[in-house]
Amino acid sequence: MGFFTKETEMAPCTVEVSHRFEELSAHVRLNNGAVIHPGDEVMVDGPPVMAPFGAVVREDRTATIIRASKLEQLWTRLTGDLEYMELCEFSFSEEVTL
Amino acid sequence: MNVHTKHSADAETAEESLAYQEAQAVNDSDSATAVAMQNTLLTPRFYTTDFDEMDALNVEPVRQDWDLLLDQMRSDPNRGHFKKNEDWDQIDWDGMEPELRKEFIDFLISSCTAEFSGCVLYKEMKRRGTNPDICELFKFMSRDEARHAGFINDALREAGISVNLGFLTRAKKYTYFKPKFIYYATYLSEKIGYARYITIYRHLEANPEYRFHPIFKWFREWCNDEFSHGEAFALLMKANPHLTRGGNVYWIKFFLTAVYSTMWIRDHQRPAFHQALGVDPAWYGQAVFEKTSEISRQIFPITLDIDHPKWQPLLNAMQDANADLDAARKRGGIVGRLKAGWASARAATAFARLMLIPAIPNEVPESVRLEPAY
Repeated sequence: MGFFTKETEMAPCTVEVSHRFEELSAHVRLNNGAVIHPGDEVMVDGPPVMAPFGAVVREDRTATIIRASKLEQLWTRLTGDLEYMELCEFSFSEEVTL
Repeated sequence: MNVHTKHSADAETAEESLAYQEAQAVNDSDSATAVAMQNTLLTPRFYTTDFDEMDALNVEPVRQDWDLLLDQMRSDPNRGHFKKNEDWDQIDWDGMEPELRKEFIDFLISSCTAEFSGCVLYKEMKRRGTNPDICELFKFMSRDEARHAGFINDALREAGISVNLGFLTRAKKYTYFKPKFIYYATYLSEKIGYARYITIYRHLEANPEYRFHPIFKWFREWCNDEFSHGEAFALLMKANPHLTRGGNVYWIKFFLTAVYSTMWIRDHQRPAFHQALGVDPAWYGQAVFEKTSEISRQIFPITLDIDHPKWQPLLNAMQDANADLDAARKRGGIVGRLKAGWASARAATAFARLMLIPAIPNEVPESVRLEPAY
């Protein structure tokens, strides 16, 4: 990892989308043990993985990981906490008027 | 107001659901408002944290309570709860007053996104962690959040709104939170969630004529899940007392103030929703603060002085400043920018003054465990 430069890598992954009454979830698992660090970006390649209502869809895909530069990683570690309100739930969006 | 129409949300099998969905496709897109349609892509946030630090958490000092709580979560007492039965009244969405409809859909989408984000975050924690106690907790929490999200999603589908889970194929940037911020925020979020839902549930129990949607009937069991998630974080903080001592007491005060004031502002921005429930947002806010403060005495060494004479006026000042800020941003131009700067300064001052109200010290009990009692 460079101090200023980003690097890109590919990783095989499994995407699982559950669009059912009893469970609404969507997860991606990287299958080669790649670890995501602060500031990294992950994108599953290909068209969106869609599940019709009532179904669970599991697909093997490739994910593109754009590794943050060392500087960006440090910056994200230092400033990420400022977005802490994202962790809280308030029932409504922040829009003042709809 | 109650009209029975066949909808994919009524389907019992996937095939049946797909058939209804197809038949209703035109109807759905016609009836859903533009605002709602724009909001349907769920956009959870993605986080990393210091997993080594999280793995080092030790629950041995509270082992007995921890095992009891986890046993209860493992037995999954609410498994059968989130099912539609004869109590689920059909709603005439098209006949709903437009302002209420907008605000209620905002409520459903925001709640669904929050549950869904929790589910994604907890599952990630479970995968990356190695501490079996913590991993098991996150597994149960992820399960519950996915179940809640599914239930809300179903209510949205009845309103003709389908959520789009295609976010994974968009670039997602992972931000970073210190583990302790995750503990404070999750604890508080779960407990305030409990207080919010149970307050509405009890109000509608006493005044059923205001129950304009059947989802409120499910709030009690729903919030019991939130309550037990919060209990687990109370135990984690109890077992690791440095989290609630020294400089961290200021962080706790900051979190409480930020969360209470944000809740106050957001509730006041949805007048039609509260009017339809027959609830004054100020009364509701204060009722939720009282319950949350009482519960949080189980672990936080302070509570906020929510009865201080400056408390509500300063919350209102923040709310006014926030509304002015939004108006100024929408106005744009140099005047808009100046006004926005002034409004931001007023909001920041009101927040700082809220922080300056002395907190009430609290002696944390030896045993932290609580049961939902409201």
